Amino acid sequence: MRQRHSIFQILLIGLFVTYMLIPIIATYVFSVATKWDASILPEGYTLEWYQIAFEHPYFSITLTNSFIVSFSAVIAGLLFIVPTTYWVHTRLPSAKPLLDMLMILPFGIPAVVLALALIRVYNFAPLARSPLLLISGCVIFSMPFMYRPVSNSLMAIDVHTLTESALNLGANTLQILVRVIAPNILPGILSGSLLVFATVFAEFTLANLITGASFKTFPILLVEFTKQDGRVAAALSVISFTVAWIASLAILWVSGRGRKPMEEALGAR
Amino acid sequence: MAYLELKNVSKFFGTVAAVKDFNLAVEKGEFVSLLGPSGCGKTTTLRMIAGFEMPDTGTITLDGEDITSVPPNKRGTGMVFQAYALFPNMTVRDNVAFGLEVTGHPKAEIEEWVREMLALVRLPGAGKRYPHQLSGGQQQRIALARALAIRPRVLLLDEPLSALDAVVRVALRGEIRRIQLGLGITTVYVTHDQEEALSISDRVVVMNQGLIEQEGSPEEIYRQPKTRFVAAFIGTANQLNGEVVDRAQVRFGDVLLQVPVPSHLGASSRVVVLVRPESIALHATAPDSHQPNVLTGTVQTITFLGPITRVAVDVNGTRVVADVIAANRAVLAHNQRVWLTFDPEACQVMANP
Repeated sequence: MRQRHSIFQILLIGLFVTYMLIPIIATYVFSVATKWDASILPEGYTLEWYQIAFEHPYFSITLTNSFIVSFSAVIAGLLFIVPTTYWVHTRLPSAKPLLDMLMILPFGIPAVVLALALIRVYNFAPLARSPLLLISGCVIFSMPFMYRPVSNSLMAIDVHTLTESALNLGANTLQILVRVIAPNILPGILSGSLLVFATVFAEFTLANLITGASFKTFPILLVEFTKQDGRVAAALSVISFTVAWIASLAILWVSGRGRKPMEEALGAR
Repeated sequence: MAYLELKNVSKFFGTVAAVKDFNLAVEKGEFVSLLGPSGCGKTTTLRMIAGFEMPDTGTITLDGEDITSVPPNKRGTGMVFQAYALFPNMTVRDNVAFGLEVTGHPKAEIEEWVREMLALVRLPGAGKRYPHQLSGGQQQRIALARALAIRPRVLLLDEPLSALDAVVRVALRGEIRRIQLGLGITTVYVTHDQEEALSISDRVVVMNQGLIEQEGSPEEIYRQPKTRFVAAFIGTANQLNGEVVDRAQVRFGDVLLQVPVPSHLGASSRVVVLVRPESIALHATAPDSHQPNVLTGTVQTITFLGPITRVAVDVNGTRVVADVIAANRAVLAHNQRVWLTFDPEACQVMANP
């Protein structure tokens, strides 16, 4: 009975992993396939599609634009969401349910609605259809991904006592935030940054509607290629995956040194 | 004018008064404890001195300066919290140096001072360790070093020992007193542990429901409690309900007790006579007839407490406890008839509302 149960579990997990991995593997294979329509495996392999992708005049422009938007959204999140969350946790705990609710709203509003609303309200220069408006939209759109992990981290530490100890020792709010609170909620800040970066990097609807052709992002280029040649689009997808991986690893690596003692400290509790 | 003064200080949370019209004057170098059950307002009072709570009425002055509305990071008070207040991301050295670094002291001075503080709390080699690598007692020593490093004008301790186990607690309270006396630093200590308050303070302030019940030296608080609350809260006191007969006698059941009756209590007013268990002598046989204050009853329980044995005796329905030196308890048995005697001077009489 027990044996059958575990076989069933392995089978289920196996199915799930296959379901998750097949599209990714297929995309990787498709991006290096010469022809792949009537056979189980491609008829031949080539790097031609990557060459086309890299040589496309918009390749580096859209990649740069996407980086600008993603990094700006992460930085805005760090500058606005993190202090706000901290402030509500320590000074205005009664407002926390309200903030929790506000942070669910972006999930409830479709990106199309958000984009059209932003375009209509901010229809004046210099904001109208500008990259700045796109970044602002992305900040709203990705807010919950920064808020949730940061809020959870703040709940896991004794943020009140830490704040009061630091205040008592003469620190000002900025010093407390940077030297005491931020290092202790670093795991939350990091996963929040990663989630925001990945979400915004892959964001298509807002970019397409707000800036469109005037400030093309990587997903827009990808969608354009889907209409022309699926294999080049697959190559672009692989590049997009790779960028997300490198960004994740970079953030983890940069924080690696400062993180260790704190992880030990949290583990010891 | 006293060094630290709280005048008519009140603090309300909603409609509930946490502290009511509180007045306290602490002299320079004095060690004052705020003692009371949880919710009595002692921690709120301490937090108002630190600046974490704003009083709704009244003023707080420190060294002649009105600090009532000075923000907590400009007050120069050093606070030690109950637990978990060390910065977990920093080494011990960085924790102790924090207060000096954020206020821009020169580096050489900081290193010197950190070394001195760690030596003061007897953990000179702990600088490179992280808080989680220290025991609870060591963490509180570091918290003390960190609070003292900023050379505070007042040291505030908020139940610093309550999260520690008994042995460490007793050792560390001695350390706190030694360091306090060595530096001559004005200290306000909050605790709910009466033994702790009595053993380390110059003066004890007993609080209940936001009000001061009594303040005085530990001896005064213990020997002459002014209210029934203080009598019951500090140590153990037998409370014998009776009626005043005259200036020197109170009727307790069918016994006339010889006790000093305060002048404001007239004849036949209802009173309670307080006697500490250690003031009561226990006899296995009836004492001389000329002895004052003889009660008799049967032994209910015998509790061994190490150096002493606490015996509870049922005296006509009233439970009276007496402490006997442990060595003398051998003769006692349950339901045995015993006699209790105590001196008139050991008693205190107060009105029974």
